[in-house]
Amino acid sequence: MSKTALSKFRQAVLQIPLWLYFIVSVYPLFWMVSYSFKNNDEIFVSNPFGLPTHFRYENYINAWTQFNIPRYFLNSLVVSTISTLFILLLALMFAFAVARMRWRFRSAVRTYMIIGMFMPLQVIMIPLAILVRDFHLTNTYGALILPYIAIGLPFSSMIFYGFLTAIPKEIEEAACMDGANIYRLFLKIIMPLALPAIATVAIFQFLNNWNEFTLAYILISDENMKTLPLGLLFFQGSYSTDWGAMGAVMTMASLPMVLVYLFLSEQVERAMTVGSAVKG
Amino acid sequence: MNKYLGNKPALALFLLPALILYSVILIYPVLQTVLRSFYDWDGLSTLTFSGLSNYRELFSDPLLATSLKNGLIFAIVLAVFQIGLGTLLALICADPRTRGRKILKTSYFIPVVLSVTVVCQLWIAIYDPTNGLINRLFDLLNIPYQQNWLSSPTASIIAIAFVNAWQFMGYQFALLYAGVKSIPEDYFEAATIDGCSKWRAHWHVTLPLMRETYKFCFIIAITSGIGAFVQMLIMTNGGPGTTNYTLTFMIYRYAFMESNYGYACAVSVLLVLISLLATVVINKLFDRGQTA
Repeated sequence: MSKTALSKFRQAVLQIPLWLYFIVSVYPLFWMVSYSFKNNDEIFVSNPFGLPTHFRYENYINAWTQFNIPRYFLNSLVVSTISTLFILLLALMFAFAVARMRWRFRSAVRTYMIIGMFMPLQVIMIPLAILVRDFHLTNTYGALILPYIAIGLPFSSMIFYGFLTAIPKEIEEAACMDGANIYRLFLKIIMPLALPAIATVAIFQFLNNWNEFTLAYILISDENMKTLPLGLLFFQGSYSTDWGAMGAVMTMASLPMVLVYLFLSEQVERAMTVGSAVKG
Repeated sequence: MNKYLGNKPALALFLLPALILYSVILIYPVLQTVLRSFYDWDGLSTLTFSGLSNYRELFSDPLLATSLKNGLIFAIVLAVFQIGLGTLLALICADPRTRGRKILKTSYFIPVVLSVTVVCQLWIAIYDPTNGLINRLFDLLNIPYQQNWLSSPTASIIAIAFVNAWQFMGYQFALLYAGVKSIPEDYFEAATIDGCSKWRAHWHVTLPLMRETYKFCFIIAITSGIGAFVQMLIMTNGGPGTTNYTLTFMIYRYAFMESNYGYACAVSVLLVLISLLATVVINKLFDRGQTA
């Protein structure tokens, strides 16, 4: 074997762990999707590992029509969209005030907001449940939307803060000269400039809110108000005998996020990992 | 200009919505938790000051030892699997001669965007003692190591921690990969030209320069181990018995199932203190390496 061939061979061997982990990462999902098209006999006895021989899409029809999946989807969509929009608006306004405006306590206020990033969420579970009850928000969209906004604020405003401080100072001077008041400056100049940061924060927060489980579990008990992660929890019992339908439910619940990710993989990864720059 | 940027009404309009919501929903409850941990409280009315008795009770609660032990095991599984294996994969994957990097990175990351409920239920199926993927695979390969994964008092905590490790591997991998990529290639090349083998060069050059990345990765892994909850809740409901309890599971149970809110608040305070302590220790450990 020549020297280059040997090095190529070594390189190929070195890559084996990567592809082994590729299987570990993807095969469980492939297995889930394939059993969503099978019946119990195929899953348990005749064909547990491979592709379905016959695509039983009736599993999907059963799952969709017999259970509350459309409702869970709608709830998740409403809660995630509204809370993400408010997080974007409030965090950007806050970051603008702290990063660009001139007043005395701005660094103290900024520090106060940062504290929230280091607070384990478990610590607010109990008082929050009481608060939601006292405000009569139990089993409403508000029970989730308000906490999701508040929890999203520290992280998002710090991302925006980092972004806004990098914009040159002359922007405000020019706006002032042109006679734009501060609100116009914010809406017409700052907001468009911050679009890349807005996109990043939007992806991050939407994903977080879409998949949030713990607070939803504590704050929502009404079947009609359940979000997708919460609603799915109760399929376990009712579907324990019909794995195919269970697989169909799980596949349907995962598909939107996986598609979004596949289309926007670079942006999603950047959004999800941007936290390391802020928190570290 | 100062007047323009110091516009008081505008300032109030920009600041207050965020500040009020944040204070009412995040900061005020934190203070409440700390305060209520000194009271006997059923969550409705009767508040009786009880000093440190919740804490005294907590330290003699056998569930505390179980929870701390499980938190530690969970954190170790995450650290070893995600950071250990993640580092190895990131180093190989960052090599420019590696083929299919895009596919590899994407497929490692897919589980991250899935709902934790889906992932847990998928793994309940995979761990199923008779029809699950793992025991079937052992059957197929004729390895007599079939287990009742989730109802074994010893193996189940590791099996559960692995589910979290599996789901968020892609996240840690993305951080580590970005860390490796951020190091200028010539450092590494200089070391190999000086006669270092590739792996020695990584050990002495690449990894020490990734200090900030590792600091963050360890903080995530350790604090999410200490605070673990959802996987236990969905997969075994803390069982078998109470063997898979964690601190958050204790909070959940004492507050929402036994209406012992004051006591649950004391557990919350302990959880925060341990998380903060872990963060400080990790920071110190990694910063000390820097000056040495």
